[in-house]
Amino acid sequence: MDLDTDVLIIGGGMAGLVAGIIANETGLKTVLIRKGQSATSYSSGAIDIIGYLPESSESFASPSRGLEAVMSLYPFHPYGLLGFTESKSDRNLDQAITKVKNTIDWIKKHFENTPASLVGDFSENLNPITVLGTTKPTCLIQETMCPPNLNDDDVLLFAGIRGHPDFNATTAANTFLDHQSRYGLPPNRVVSCDIDLTPFGKAYNISSIEIARHLDHAGSIEDLIVPLSDYVSRSEATAIALPPILGLRKSKTNRDLLEQAFGMSVFELLSLPPSIPGLRLQNSLEDIYKSTGGSLLVGHEAVSFSHDDMRIKSVTAKTPMREVTIKLESIVLATGKFIGGGLQSASVGLKESVFNLMTVNSIFQSAKELRPDRSTNIRALPEDGHDIFSIGLSVDPQFRPVKNDGHQFADNLFCAGSLLASYNYAAEKSGLGVALVTGLEAGKNAANAVRMVK
Amino acid sequence: MDEQESFEYAKQTLKVEKITPYSNEDFKIVQSVQKCINCGICLSHCPVVGAVGINRFSGPRSIAVELSRSPPEFWTTSDTIYLCTGCGTCREVCPQNVNVPEIVNIVRARIMDHRPDLVPKGLHVVHEVISEHKLAFEPWDDIEEKRESRDMRLEHYDLPHIEDRIVDDADVLFYPGCQAEERAQEVREAAKLILDHFNVNYTLLNEMSCCGLPSKLLGDNSSFRELGSIITEKVKKSGIKILVTTCAGCTSNLNEVSEQEEWGIPVYHLLEFLENEIGLDKFKENLKPVDKRITTKIAVHDPCHLIRHTAREIHDIMLKILAILPDVEYVPTGVTDSCCGGGGMVSYHAKDVSDAVVEENLVGINNTDAERLVAPCPLCTAQLENSLYRSGSSIEVDDLTVFIAQRLKLKR
Repeated sequence: MDLDTDVLIIGGGMAGLVAGIIANETGLKTVLIRKGQSATSYSSGAIDIIGYLPESSESFASPSRGLEAVMSLYPFHPYGLLGFTESKSDRNLDQAITKVKNTIDWIKKHFENTPASLVGDFSENLNPITVLGTTKPTCLIQETMCPPNLNDDDVLLFAGIRGHPDFNATTAANTFLDHQSRYGLPPNRVVSCDIDLTPFGKAYNISSIEIARHLDHAGSIEDLIVPLSDYVSRSEATAIALPPILGLRKSKTNRDLLEQAFGMSVFELLSLPPSIPGLRLQNSLEDIYKSTGGSLLVGHEAVSFSHDDMRIKSVTAKTPMREVTIKLESIVLATGKFIGGGLQSASVGLKESVFNLMTVNSIFQSAKELRPDRSTNIRALPEDGHDIFSIGLSVDPQFRPVKNDGHQFADNLFCAGSLLASYNYAAEKSGLGVALVTGLEAGKNAANAVRMVK
Repeated sequence: MDEQESFEYAKQTLKVEKITPYSNEDFKIVQSVQKCINCGICLSHCPVVGAVGINRFSGPRSIAVELSRSPPEFWTTSDTIYLCTGCGTCREVCPQNVNVPEIVNIVRARIMDHRPDLVPKGLHVVHEVISEHKLAFEPWDDIEEKRESRDMRLEHYDLPHIEDRIVDDADVLFYPGCQAEERAQEVREAAKLILDHFNVNYTLLNEMSCCGLPSKLLGDNSSFRELGSIITEKVKKSGIKILVTTCAGCTSNLNEVSEQEEWGIPVYHLLEFLENEIGLDKFKENLKPVDKRITTKIAVHDPCHLIRHTAREIHDIMLKILAILPDVEYVPTGVTDSCCGGGGMVSYHAKDVSDAVVEENLVGINNTDAERLVAPCPLCTAQLENSLYRSGSSIEVDDLTVFIAQRLKLKR
């Protein structure tokens, strides 16, 4: 079977879907192929822009401060590339910062009225609470995950569910109180409880998805309200923190019902992957992509391509039993890194999966002969991160991958997301932010490339 | 002891140790397990986990991470491994495409080899039927009764009967599959009608035998291979150029057999055949004139074996065909690709689980104003028809092949 499209996007995570949405909005026909679900879908569901400078343990107070620091120190950081204009060789930091800011406004607007609608903005980093009781700096979080401003005399209740191994309310409460009191932060009292909520009648081995699906059913939020009310009144709680289980579709309604029932703030904590909010983020992105006219081909893996001089002409994708060739005008490659399979590592060398593009490490040396084990640190969570996460593709200011001679691999191939080199999302807390911003940029550039041909 | 002797000796110990060595095909699947990064995204999508909870069915991650790791003790997984419906959702969302549905088959095959007492009774019954008749269902005792049942069905669906066509020099082999052969005979008849209508030089098998998928799913690898080689031999001898089937399971399974046995011909579902070989324009020209003012609201169901085991495009072909039919209005349900619970032989021994899985579909379908539901697979059709009926729904269910045949200008 054959298909024709203006823009082909390979990869269905944040970067690919955002690229697809912006291309749809310029009136072009897009097809997005994906072989599996993305790393976005099991993220915490929060969109980090920039949280830390690698090697520093102090978080940035705002994305704008973070961007300034990162772009000054690492000029070829993906965010830094936004400052290059085609005509001039010097960089314009303000332009890059404005682009990021506009992108944040853009995504917030698109997410209005979705189950993952977003709060937060460019002027400050939020510090939402996690299921471990810690906080992490991030720029955008889902509305249901936004903790209230707590005062000294507030009482925060961490409510867990008996038999749900993803969240231990007591540990989270202790860790959180420990942290707050050490820094003299409110509240002075934190309590915890475990309630019974058994989607299938047994109070053990309960997974987050079961609870979320259960709470999506009409009326089932009562199963949370009834057992919780006793603890709420006994503990004199003034705010309630829940693990992120309030539903895939009805999280906002459920949060509102809980707040009405108890007359206080109720919010979800950020969790480790895979998380329900991550799925909400993924589903909302897919819905927006499809509703703006994009065609989403699930279960398709790009296996080969054809090209002439400087242009990719078509990509062939395979499904379990069939092959489809997609003719295209331009292409956005957003296949991710190691989880998504965009990069493959062998005992020696790292390879880009679809086009065999040149891979480089954090200082733009070829990663073709690099031994991956030499790019890791013996410590699991070092402050400067593992260098292996900085490996990826080297691109021009239009996000077109370049070859070792410095020339573009193709005029119509653009790249976005974690496939890009020279930024360390794990250490910086910048993963979804880079995916979002570069996805939008690559999508725009790919759309422009189509218009130039037409 | 020379090398050969020690090899033979080692093989004997494998039997004692209750180990069945992996075949070359098995190895590819086992290697896909090694790519599992234990992320658990599959758990959020598995329809069985969603329907009965992780405590009852520990889910795809557990199958890839724990249940596939201890060859001699595969039998310990029997309470879980038989609850997988084989829908392939996990493989499709997995960033590494770990082949969980096939791992399930590998583990089930080993339980069958070494601890058949732990295989659910319902599966043994199917196993015996297949061994005896080479069909997944007990054939009719009385061939006259089978004919009567067929004629009643034809009358019910207002379809004419065409004699079976069995010729030596056919271009196309129509393979109805066990369900359409023995039970939903209207599907077999409808497909013949469509092929005949477009003057396709087709043939049926002189003797129908199962494609082998049920044997594979219940863990009987020797029957699976035997049934595959029976069809392979017939296909290779007949000189046909295309195999067409109306069953989703047969489509994906025969595609696999075709690849392994190097048939060198395409294996299509009838929908693909209509698009690729007949052409949808020609199809459109051959439709009965109808009163376009009276439309029926139609919801669809995508069989797992078509969309996730073969290709998602088949869903698009189905929608293209529905768009051509003038008296049809397509109603999206949001659950078209949700497993009907009828796969993986689960309904043969754990009816409560397959009923819980189909519930998702029932809620989605009943929430729309659809009047009918169509599915391009007689097995999904039966499962959904029974479940909708029991839920008190008035929505009628048709196999898509029958639905199409009813709308052709017939050469009566």
